[in-house]
Amino acid sequence: MFIEFFYILREKGVPVTPTSFLRLHKALSTGLIHSLDDFYTVARSVLVKSERYFDMYDQIFAHTFRGVEFAEPDDEEITEIAKALLEEWLKNPADIAAALGIDEKKLQQLTPEELIQYFFDRLKEQAEAHHGGNKWIGTGGTSPVGHSGYHPGGMRVGGISRNKSAIKVAMDRRYKDYSQEGPLNQSQMGEALKRLRRMVPAGPKDVVNVDKTIYETIRNGGEIEIVYSRRLRDRIKVILMIDNGGWSMDPYIYLVQTLFNYVRAQFKDLKVYYFHNTIYDEVWLDPRRRAKPEKTIDFINEDPETRLIIVGDASMAPYELMNKNGFIYLEKRRSRPSIENLQFLAGTFPHSAWINPAEKRDWGAWTVDIIKQIFPMYELTLDGLDKMVHHLMSRN
Amino acid sequence: MNQENSLNKFRGASRYVLDNELAKIVNVSIALEMPLLLKGEPGTGKTMLAYAIAESLKMPLIVLNVKSSMKLVDALYQYDTLTRLNDSRFGDSDRNVSHIEEYIKMGKIGQAFVADVRTVLLIDEIDKADTDFQDDMLDILDQMQFDIIEIDKTVRAKNRPVVIITSNAKKDLSDPFLGRCNFHHIAFPDPTMMRSIINVHFSNLQEKMIDACIETFYHLRRFDGIEKKPATRELINWIRALKADPDFNISKLHRGEVPYLGVLYKKSSDMQIAARNITRSF
Repeated sequence: MFIEFFYILREKGVPVTPTSFLRLHKALSTGLIHSLDDFYTVARSVLVKSERYFDMYDQIFAHTFRGVEFAEPDDEEITEIAKALLEEWLKNPADIAAALGIDEKKLQQLTPEELIQYFFDRLKEQAEAHHGGNKWIGTGGTSPVGHSGYHPGGMRVGGISRNKSAIKVAMDRRYKDYSQEGPLNQSQMGEALKRLRRMVPAGPKDVVNVDKTIYETIRNGGEIEIVYSRRLRDRIKVILMIDNGGWSMDPYIYLVQTLFNYVRAQFKDLKVYYFHNTIYDEVWLDPRRRAKPEKTIDFINEDPETRLIIVGDASMAPYELMNKNGFIYLEKRRSRPSIENLQFLAGTFPHSAWINPAEKRDWGAWTVDIIKQIFPMYELTLDGLDKMVHHLMSRN
Repeated sequence: MNQENSLNKFRGASRYVLDNELAKIVNVSIALEMPLLLKGEPGTGKTMLAYAIAESLKMPLIVLNVKSSMKLVDALYQYDTLTRLNDSRFGDSDRNVSHIEEYIKMGKIGQAFVADVRTVLLIDEIDKADTDFQDDMLDILDQMQFDIIEIDKTVRAKNRPVVIITSNAKKDLSDPFLGRCNFHHIAFPDPTMMRSIINVHFSNLQEKMIDACIETFYHLRRFDGIEKKPATRELINWIRALKADPDFNISKLHRGEVPYLGVLYKKSSDMQIAARNITRSF
C-alpha cells in the first residue's frame, strides 16, 4: 500500500528510506491510524526527517491523495465548488484574490460569471501541472482510501481553522518557510561554524587527571597524589577579511552581515579587515577603508595557526588582480600585483579559505578561477560553510 | 478500539497546550517504541512537551542536558575512580574496594534503564553534542542495553523509556540518527493557539487584555531585522509584568505604547529596532 506515494516522495527529492516505509506500515498495522488526518501526521513524522522537506511532503501528499477526481471534477462537484467559491468571495474577497493570484481590485470588477470562468481556467491549468504557491486551489479533498468524511467542502484558503482535512492542511503549505530555498540565518551559520575550534588546555588547573593521579600515587608508594590539569578551552584565532567595496558585493550585504555578526559573537580572538575587490599592499581595520590601514606584509607576524577566512565575490577586472598597478584607486598604486599578496597570505596561513557569497553557478568571472587556485573557495551556504570548516580543521 | 491503543492517549497536561497533530505523533512514537525528535524555534515548547508527557502519563521524568564536551559514557554511567582510590588508601568506608560495582554510578540514560517503572527520558539539545555521540546514543536506545566495561556487565532496560529528543538547530542531524527516530517540527503557535496557551497560564485575564496583548505581540514579531524574536516565554513574562504594573491599562497598547520592551527583547540591537519601529508603525 502507498508504494506510489513513497516513490513520488523519493523522486521529488525527499530522502525517505525503505526502513522508514516499513515502519510506517508497522504503524498502520498497530491500528492507531483511523483517518487520513492521522495518516498525514504519522506518515510525515515517520518518513520525513527534516522540516525542510515538510513543504515538499505537503505538496506531494495533496497531489497523491487528492485523487484522480481532481483532474476531471464531475459536474456536481464543480457546482459545489463554484457555489462555495462565490460564498467565500462575498465574505472575504481578499482571501479569494490571494488564492487565485489576482489583484483584489481586479477581482472586484469581475462579474460572478467571469470569476467562475477564471476559476475553471485555473483548475484546468492545475490538472496539467503543478504551479505551486498561490495557484493551488483546493476542492476540499477526496480520499482514495475509502474514508467517507471528506466532501468537497468549498474553498478554505489561508485563515486559521482547527479542523481541516489533511489534504487542506497539506495544501496550506504551512512549512514553505522551512523549505530549502530559504536564506541562511544566524542560527544556521552558528551550526555550521560551531566545529571551527581548536581545543587547547588553558585556565586554572581544576580537572582531576585520573591517569596521572594513579601513576603519581603508585610512584609515591600508595600515598595518594592527586594531579590536576587544565581544562580544554577553545583558543582558535580567526582573521576575517571582507570585501566591502563596490556594487558587485551589494546583493550580499545582508548575508555577509549575518555571517559577520555571528563570527564576532562566536570567536573571542577575531580580527576583521576590509578590502575592495582584492587584496593589495594594505587592508583596513575600519569599514570605510581610510583611517586604519594595515600592511599586508605584516601578517607574517601572526600565528600561522590562525584561520584566515576571506569573504568576497572574487569578481573583478583581470588587471586588478594581475597588474602591478592594478589597484583601481589611482592614488593607491603600488608595485606588487594583488595576486602575489594573495599568494603570500595563503603561504602565511596554511589554514585559509575563501567564502564567495555568490551562488556557484554565477562564478563565471575569470578571476574566480585564478583565486580558486590560491584559496579553496566555498559558497556562503550551509553546505559551503560546512565544507569550509572541514577544510580549515582538516590539516591539524 | 480500546483506550490503551488509541492515538488520543496523551492529551496534554495542566500547563501545556497540545495541538492535535503533535498528540498523534507522540502517541504513535510511544506505540512504535521510537524516540521522538523535536525541532522548532526556541519558545515553541519542545522541552515542556516532555514534562507534559511525564505528567499526563504519570511517569517519572529523567532529563539529560547535553553539553558539547559530553561523552556518551557520561550519560550511561560513571566509574568513580577517585573514591575507590581513596577507599583503598584509607579503608574507612563500608564499601568493598575490590567490588568495582560499588563505584559505578548510573548516568541519566542508565537511570532510565534501571528504573523499576517506565520513565520519560528527555534528551535536551542533542545538537550540542558531536555526531559520534548522537549516533552511538541512538544505537544504545535502539538496543536498549549497554555494557559497563569495567565490570563486564550488560545493563538492559527493565522498561523501555519514552524517549524525547530536542534540537534547536536548523541543520540536519546525521542520517543514521534520523533514521532511528520519528520527527516533528513544532511551528510557532498561531494567535488562536497562543490564546489557549495564555489561558492555561493566566486564569482570570480579561478577553480584551488578551486580545490586545496577542495583537501587539504578533505585531512585534514581524519587525524586520530582529535577531531574537520574542517567543512564548517572553510573552508570558510580559503579560505578568503588565499585570503587576498598577499604572497599566489596555488603552496604552491600543495607543501603540509598549511598556517593558526589555522583557520581550533580550538584545540591545533588537530593542533599538523595535523601539524605532513601534513609533513609526502606529
